Parts: sequence; structure tokens; C-alpha cells
Amino acid sequence: MKVSLEWLSEYLKLEVEPEELACMLDLSGTAVDRIIRIGTGLSGVVVGRVVEVQPHPNADSLSVAHVEDGSNVREVVCGAPNLVSGMRTAFALPGARLPAISTSELKRANIRGVASDGMLLSAAELGIGEDTSGIIELGQDVLVGADIHDVLPVEDVVLDLEITPNRPDCMSMIGIAREISALLNLEFNYPEIEIIEDESTYLDSVKVKVGAPGDCQRYTARLVSDVKISPSPSWMQRRLMAAGFRAINNVVDVTNYVLVELGQPLHAFDLERIEGKTIIVRHAERGEVIRTLDGEDRQLDEKSLVIADSSNPVAIAGIMGGENSEVTEQTKNVLIESACFEPTSIYLTSKRFGLRSESSSRFERGTDPIGTSRAARRAAQLISQISGGRIALGEIDIFPGKKESIFVELRPWRLNELLGVEISKTEITNILERLEFKISSGETLNVEVPSFRRDIEREIDLVEEVARIFGYNKIPSDLPKGGRYEAGLSKTGKIEREISNILIAQGLFECISPSFMQNLDLTRLRLPEGHALTKVVTLLNPLSETGECMRTSLMPGLLKIVRHNQNRGNKDLAIFETGRVFFSAEGNKLPIEMDCIGILLSGMASSQHWSVSQREFDFFDLKGIVENILHTLFIGNYSLKKVERPFLKSGRGSMLQVEGKDAGFLGELKSEVVEAYDIKGHVYVAEISTDCLIQAAGEPEHREIGRFPGVKVDISIIVDDGVECERVENIIRANGGELLESVSLFDLYKGTQIPDGMKSLAFSLEFRSFERTLSDEDVNERVDSIVSALERDVGAVLRKKDEGPSGSVRQN
Amino acid sequence: MGELERLRELSRENKSLKSVIEKSISIIQGCSSLEDTRDARIRILGRKGMITAVFEGISKMPEDERPAAGRAGNEFRTLVTALLEEKEKEIEASIHMESRELEGIDITLPGRCPPLGKKHILSKVIDDVVEIFISLGYSVETGPEVELDYYNFEALNTPAYHPARSLQDTFYVKRSDPEREEPDDILLRTHTSPVQIRVMESRKPPLYVISPGKAYRKDEIDATHTAMFFQVEGFAVDRGITMAQLKGTLEVFARKLFGSKRTVRLRPHFFPFTEPSAEVDVSCFACDGAGCSICKHSGWLEILGCGMIDPNVFSHVGYDPEEFSGFAFGMGIERIAMMKYGIEDMRYFYDDNIKFLSRF
Repeated sequence: MKVSLEWLSEYLKLEVEPEELACMLDLSGTAVDRIIRIGTGLSGVVVGRVVEVQPHPNADSLSVAHVEDGSNVREVVCGAPNLVSGMRTAFALPGARLPAISTSELKRANIRGVASDGMLLSAAELGIGEDTSGIIELGQDVLVGADIHDVLPVEDVVLDLEITPNRPDCMSMIGIAREISALLNLEFNYPEIEIIEDESTYLDSVKVKVGAPGDCQRYTARLVSDVKISPSPSWMQRRLMAAGFRAINNVVDVTNYVLVELGQPLHAFDLERIEGKTIIVRHAERGEVIRTLDGEDRQLDEKSLVIADSSNPVAIAGIMGGENSEVTEQTKNVLIESACFEPTSIYLTSKRFGLRSESSSRFERGTDPIGTSRAARRAAQLISQISGGRIALGEIDIFPGKKESIFVELRPWRLNELLGVEISKTEITNILERLEFKISSGETLNVEVPSFRRDIEREIDLVEEVARIFGYNKIPSDLPKGGRYEAGLSKTGKIEREISNILIAQGLFECISPSFMQNLDLTRLRLPEGHALTKVVTLLNPLSETGECMRTSLMPGLLKIVRHNQNRGNKDLAIFETGRVFFSAEGNKLPIEMDCIGILLSGMASSQHWSVSQREFDFFDLKGIVENILHTLFIGNYSLKKVERPFLKSGRGSMLQVEGKDAGFLGELKSEVVEAYDIKGHVYVAEISTDCLIQAAGEPEHREIGRFPGVKVDISIIVDDGVECERVENIIRANGGELLESVSLFDLYKGTQIPDGMKSLAFSLEFRSFERTLSDEDVNERVDSIVSALERDVGAVLRKKDEGPSGSVRQN
Repeated sequence: MGELERLRELSRENKSLKSVIEKSISIIQGCSSLEDTRDARIRILGRKGMITAVFEGISKMPEDERPAAGRAGNEFRTLVTALLEEKEKEIEASIHMESRELEGIDITLPGRCPPLGKKHILSKVIDDVVEIFISLGYSVETGPEVELDYYNFEALNTPAYHPARSLQDTFYVKRSDPEREEPDDILLRTHTSPVQIRVMESRKPPLYVISPGKAYRKDEIDATHTAMFFQVEGFAVDRGITMAQLKGTLEVFARKLFGSKRTVRLRPHFFPFTEPSAEVDVSCFACDGAGCSICKHSGWLEILGCGMIDPNVFSHVGYDPEEFSGFAFGMGIERIAMMKYGIEDMRYFYDDNIKFLSRF
């Protein structure tokens, strides 16, 4: 809502600077988007009268006008479509300053071979409005040659306000004047409305019927006859332009003027074009069509509330009039509609047609049902004043939605208790009265709510009114009392944070990608129909950028991040994401949401360095990272099983089992999948259920470290290549007895020195007793039983047993 | 398997080579300088060396033993050569090391940095915010991202025909059975406020809760809008909660997050689920309120929305608004990160360019 301070001064005496006023409004709930200063620095512009218009000899779209500037007639080139001889308009003489369009002064110009001795101006060029569709048309009352400043209050400050949806009453000059008056404790005045009704004109001939009382609370109409349509006076035009409207003619401009002034949308019908002089407020019938004022044909239906004459719709109620009843230059008798429509009905219809107007934006928030009569009188007064019409006696007023005033009880102590302030009953009363609430005071305040405040129904609504006028900034600062014992992260939250931290500590970058996915991603991942990851939650109204469903895996997001980075030259990537995946649930209302960890490795495992050579990431980097998570969370009961997945390279995928439950997978992506995402190189991914890890997470436990030295023995065996390392390790552990403290593989060899199809595995075993220093016999006995178990169970051949560098058992 | 091991194996396999091999090993192991290894090479592999004697011995063997013995001899030569080279490298390295220790090192050579990961900037800001409220006694709760209309709108006092509920503004989930006449009531939550309702439904006051999470709105994506974004919701419900306490809480928060000199102002606003409602500005940390390009010359930065929980919200969860009162607030994490770090485009957060992520 644009508020001209010049216009506003009509209702109250403003003695504060615009910036100060803006700040006050801001701090009382009426946000000020911008302070617009218009017309400053404008000079050299006078009222010009167009004497004659000729076509431009060299350009079809231009004309050459002879314009009188008060003393001379000048030849001017002009392209405005509304240029006609006889009109009075804003005329910039050579040397004029037009800050809205240029920083330098206006010069004589040669336009397509014709010298132009000045320029005729649109509202936008003049800097007082936004209209660029034609030159400004001034009333016939203005003196030709007069400086524009004497005719129009060109210089003005306009506040561009953002009105919250609960405050339709502020979408008017009067509403803003009321707010300012409450804030500054200042008198404000409604416009004086005095009308002289002409008893000789008939309102009897007009009939109004409200056929849809549920959607039309009140319908008030007045008739002004014998009007003379012409441009409205310049003061009115200028105010409308400052408010963001286009001047049209003296009747339509009045309806807009009153809309801005009082917040009551009006519509003017040409009565002679209303069939049967009958107005019916009803729902449209299916198949009815109306051409609205914007030239569009609108298909109506039973849900659309319309204003109809005895045969056809003549307006979409509260939204836009129809061309068939529009006020034109020929109009003589004007029927003014001032109604109150049901907000929801207007909102839904306006949404259905994608059609919003100054009227609909007020009706859909709720207008004042009591104010229709005043607005109709105000419009009649102004129309008769500026277009010479006669106001018919009386008004038609149908008020099916009449309601009693609302009374709300306000307990001053409750107000103070909720706000944490001490505001006296007198001050509360004063504040509310300045906002036009009526108060009868007892121990509590009995507050009568004015009809334009449809947002106030409860005590809390009044508390807010008092608080915002009192000033939120006068409320002191305090903190809640009382101790809270459950403060902090939940166990889940702590573990999630720990998982992130251990991944970051291992050199991974945390990424966040949108929770959406495309159906195409299912294809890219080569998922067959019915695969668990295809149980997607599909969106009813997706955006093209987001994808049409919610992700069932973190992989697509991570792969898009890889593509984005590879395209920008970042080829070495160790990244992870923690986030939700979504699965549609049958029977259940809400989908199943699962927290997951996705890890992806691609490119080189380390950056280039002068002292080390680089190598590429491989599966075992991924496995190590995942195992470090498990170790950090003290999860001992886990295993990796070879598994086939449609998107993983065959024989290179692994399932992570935690406490016997499937917790996720690790593996290398198939090259077809990698290519489908336009990625280069090998890509290793893991996706693990956070919940599984949280459930299995353990606590650290102290175990004796042991005072006696341990004994290290290295054994190297040759086994069939098909024997898995884990199996060998398990046999070693099972046969090592309780003295065997640790087993680690330190060498794997396949090659010329051993037979084809075999591999050599070298393990370092460490034995320790908590009671004594171990002897060679102790250890040899264990090693022997390990070796014979290996020989028996996996056909291993002992290649070598090394008990230290010099043949003796190594002790440490 | 190393050369040394293989040599020992070879000596076990070929009794005739045993003494030569053992002697060679002890010569090589005894070397402590490059002169020593040069001498050792001559002694073992030279024209008058041990190797010559070995091959001479082989030539005198019976014909059928010669090929195997020849192969063993050749392997012996290869292994000794390799062992000598290894020894020389070892000696060179130690010489190098000694001389480096004497000479000092070029300390300007780049250090070996173990790879360093990074927390996402948004996670970092969320953690910062959450940490502040934990220190004020709040517990952390989360809720589903795909929500029922009831929790996202209805119980939060949003009118039935509120524009936010439209298909233009909110993502809805497609019904599983399009034939059935169900309302579209499953949606992607448009804010983290549904957690308020879920927590109040399952617990009783006193409640001091902070809830970070993702929210979704159907905005066309540009520099200041993404379809998914992060919010942190906070609320307190207890006996005697006041708006003054809300104000004080937000002041503590703003000072801890943006610096101790910050001031806070509340501007009345409208939200369906709070009353009185306010938008909260913090004095600009870049210019201290004097006006600069970051605060668009206003001296203030809008950081969050808040208010006293509307009695209608309490009635949905069965709390008596006469007994309990509460405040709630919600903030956009991207906006705070953008202000704090001068990031001009929200899309950077979700592109996950490593170069961007590594800056924070």
C-alpha cells in the first residue's frame, strides 16, 4: 500500500519527518518497505495545451503536436497514443530538469527529421507515478503556462507499506491515519461528507436483489445521474498516481480514490447498460462467460459470485467489472456499488481466475460491513462535485449479514502477566480508545470492537494491540526462571554428531543435497522394478528443478555433487552426507523416514606432495573409514558379507551387518552407473542406516593393559586364493587361546614365487599373559595348534614362522 | 619375500652353496660404508670373486646336476646384486640423513598435512545456534519432514484457506490411491513448527525445546530461495512465561551468536500461531548500526520471527492457556549464515563445491 504524505495530511496534522514516521510505523507492525521521494529537482515543466496534432512525416508511430506554453506555440514530436488536440498536459520546455528520466537538462532534439522544441510527459517521466502508457491528461481547469508545481503538488513523500494479512483496515488512508494517531496521540478526522440529494431523480427504478446472502453480507448502492465524463481534476489524478493507480476518468477515479481513502472497494456501473436496471448478486451458472475489464473472457462456474443484471453477469463480484457495463465517455447515469463480500469466496474465485485486483485484495482479507454506506455517500459526493451529476435521493441497502458488535473482556493484570510489564489500566484504556475501541471500565475492561477490526475476537488480540502501541521496545528483558534437567542433545543427537565428527576427522567433507530425487535416478541406479529403493514417495506438485519424488537413497545426491565438482576441476573427492531418506508406506499415513549416512570416495586418496607418491582411493579406504565409525561408537559385533547390488560392481559389493542386522552396504559403483551421472573414474560408495548404528552403539570399557611383556610372532601361510582372509583370521583367533591378544595381516602376496591360484598371507600375532612373562614353549604351543588348525581347515601350508630378527622369540 | 629370506632358502636347498651364501650375507651385512660395499662386490661378484669359484665348481659337476646348479648359481648372483644395491641405498640414505642433520633442513618445504575434512557451513551454524540454547537449558528434538496438514497448519492455527496451504506454495505428496477421495493432507513441512505440536502432545510442561531441521517450500529457485532450507525452531512452555522473557532470551542468543555489543529490537508482525507476534532485528554487526550495504543502510538485520504461543495452539494439545503460557521462535539458518559470512547466493549451500565448503 502506497501512502502519499500529502494526501495523508488531509486527515491529520503531521509534524514529524518522514523517516521518523516510517520508523514508528515499522515498530508498531506496519512495515515500511521504502520511502519514495517524488518530484524533487523537477523544473522547467509547465501546463501545455495541445493546439493541433499532425502525423509525423517520417514515422507512423509518432505525431507532431503544436503546443501552447502560455506565451508561444512550440512544435513537439510525441509518440503518446492519447495525444489529442485540446488536451492540457505536462510540457517540459528545453532546459527543463526531469530527474525521473535523466540527470542532464532537456535539450531541443531532432527526432526523425523534425525538430522537437520540448517534450510532453507521462506520469512516470514527470516522476509522480508509474504510468508510461500515455502522456498525463490534466483537467480543463488548469491555467495554460502555469508552472507544474503550482498545479500539482508534484513534490511528495510516499511510504510504501507492507500490510500484514490480519490488518485489512490498514489498507486505506484512514486506517493509516488512525494508526498514526494512536501512536502519536494525535487527533485525526474522517473526511467530511455532505451530499445534496436531488429528489427529482429516481432510485426507485433500480432493483437490487441479493441471491447469495452467504457470500454477500451487505450491498449498498447509490445513483448519480447526468454526469459528464472527463478527466478528473489534477489534484485527484496526482494522488491516485502516488498511490499507484492510473487516472482513467472522473467517475472511475472517484471509485479508486474512495477505495484508497476509506478502504472500501467500489464499482461504478453505467446504469443504462444494466438490463432491466436490476442488480442481482448471485452465483454464476455453469457456461456463463464474462469479458472482464482487462479484455479477457472468463468462464464462470457455480462457485463464482457475480453481479448480474436481469440476464447476464456484469461483474465478477469484488474482483473485476465486466466490459458490458463499464463506464464510458457516453455514460450519463452511474450506479455506485459499495458492498461487503465474504472473504473466502472472493479469495477462492480470485485464485481460480488468477486475477487479483485492488478490490479483491481488500475483500479477501475482510472489509468493514458498516462502512459501505459511508463510502457510497463519499463517492456520490465526489462524483457530483467533479462531474456535475445529481445524487438521487436515498440509497439501496441490503444487509443480510448484519451482526451484533463484538465485546471482549480484557483483564489488565493478565495483560501485564503475559507481557511481563506494568501498564496501568488508564494507559491501556487510552491506547484502545485511540484505536477506536469503546471501553466500559470495571475491575476488568469490557471492550467493544469496531466493525472494521475483524481480526479482534479474543483477549489475546487486545493484549497484542496494547503491546504494539505501547511499544515492544519498552518491554523489559528477562529470562525464564526454573531449572531444566533434560537440557542438551538426546543420545541420538550425540551419536549423530559423533559420526559426523569422526568422518570429518578422517578427511571427509560434509555435504548437504536436496531431499528430492528424480524417477530417472532409479533408472540410473539400474534398480529393477520392485527393488526396495523404488518405493518412492511421489510429490503431487513438484518443481522441475527438484525432481518428482523424495530420495530413497543418498547416492543420487552425492553423485550429482561429484559431477558438479568434477565439472569444476575438483576430481579428488572424499565426501559424506547425513540425512533422511523416505519410503512410501502402505497402510501407514506418513511415509517411513530413515536417517542415513552416505559416504563417497573418488579420485586420489591424498593430495600431491614432494615427498610421497599419490595413489587412488580403493575399496579398503572406504572400509577403513566405515570401520573407524564402528570403533568410535564401540560397536564390536559387526561383519561384512559379500553381496550383489544392481548398482555395485559384481564381486565388489559388501553388506554391513551390525548385530546380525543389515545396516547398509559398501562397494564400488558399476561403470554404467558412473557414466549415467556423467562422472569419470572409479566411485566407491557406502550407505549406512544411522538408526542401526545408534541402536548398537556401546560404551567404552576399561580393560587391564597388562604389566608383562607380550610376544610377537609372524606367521606366513600359503592358501588357495579363494579362501577369504576373514576366515583365516577367525581360525587363528579360535585356536590362539586366551593368550592371543591381537592378530593383524601385514602382507598379502600373489605372484611368481608361489604357485598359481594360491596366495601368501602373513599375520603378526601378539601373545600376552596378565600373570607372567610368557616362555617360548607357551607361545610355540599356541602357534603350533593355530598352524595345524589352518592346515586342517583351509589346507594352508606354513611358509614361514618368524620369531624375531635373530631367531629368538621377540619380546616387547 | 625379501632377498635375504630367499638367499637363506637357497642355501638350504643347495648344500654346495651353503657356505658361499652364508659368507656373502655376513660380508654384505658387515658393510658400513660405500667403500665396504665396493669391496664386497669385488669379493663376491668380481672376476676373482666367490661367484667365479662357484661356477667353476659347477662346471666340474656331473652333467645331469649342472642345469639345476647353474640356475641356483644365477639366482645367487641376482639376489646378491639386489642385496648389495639395497645395502648401498641404506648407506646412502643414512649418509644423507647424517649430512641433513648436520646441515639443517629447508623448513620452508611444504609440510605433510593429513587430509582435513570440513563440517558443512550450515551444519556449523546450526550447531552454533543449538549450542547456545543448550546452554540456556533447552533440549533438542526433531520431527518428521513429511508431515500431516494437521501438524503443519491446522494445529498451528492456520486458517483453512490460507495462501500458504496452496499447491503453489507447499509441496504435497501424491495419494497412493488416486481413486479414493482423500484430502491432500500429507505434505513436506513448510517450517519446523510442527515439532512444537508433536512435543506438546507427548509431554507436559515445563518444556524448553530447540528443534533444527529441514523445511520445504515451493519457491522458484534463485539467489534467496531454495525449495529446501533449514530452520531452527525454539519454544518454551511453562507457568508464567512472559514476552519479556522471550525478549531477554533472544538478546542472549543474538549476543552469543553475533557478538556482545549487539542489540535486539522487536517489530510487531503477524503469524497465525503466535500472538503477540514479532519479527526480530539485530543491530548490524558490520557497521554497529550506523548503516552499511549489509544492512541496506538501516542499521538492522532481520534474523527471526517469534511471539507468544497462541491460545488456540494450546487448545489443540489440551493445555490450559490460563495455566501455561509460552513463547516460540523460528529462524532460517541460510539467512543467518549468509549474513554472518557475507554469502550472496543461497544456492552455494547446496551445490557443495568443495572449494566453497573448504573456506569455512
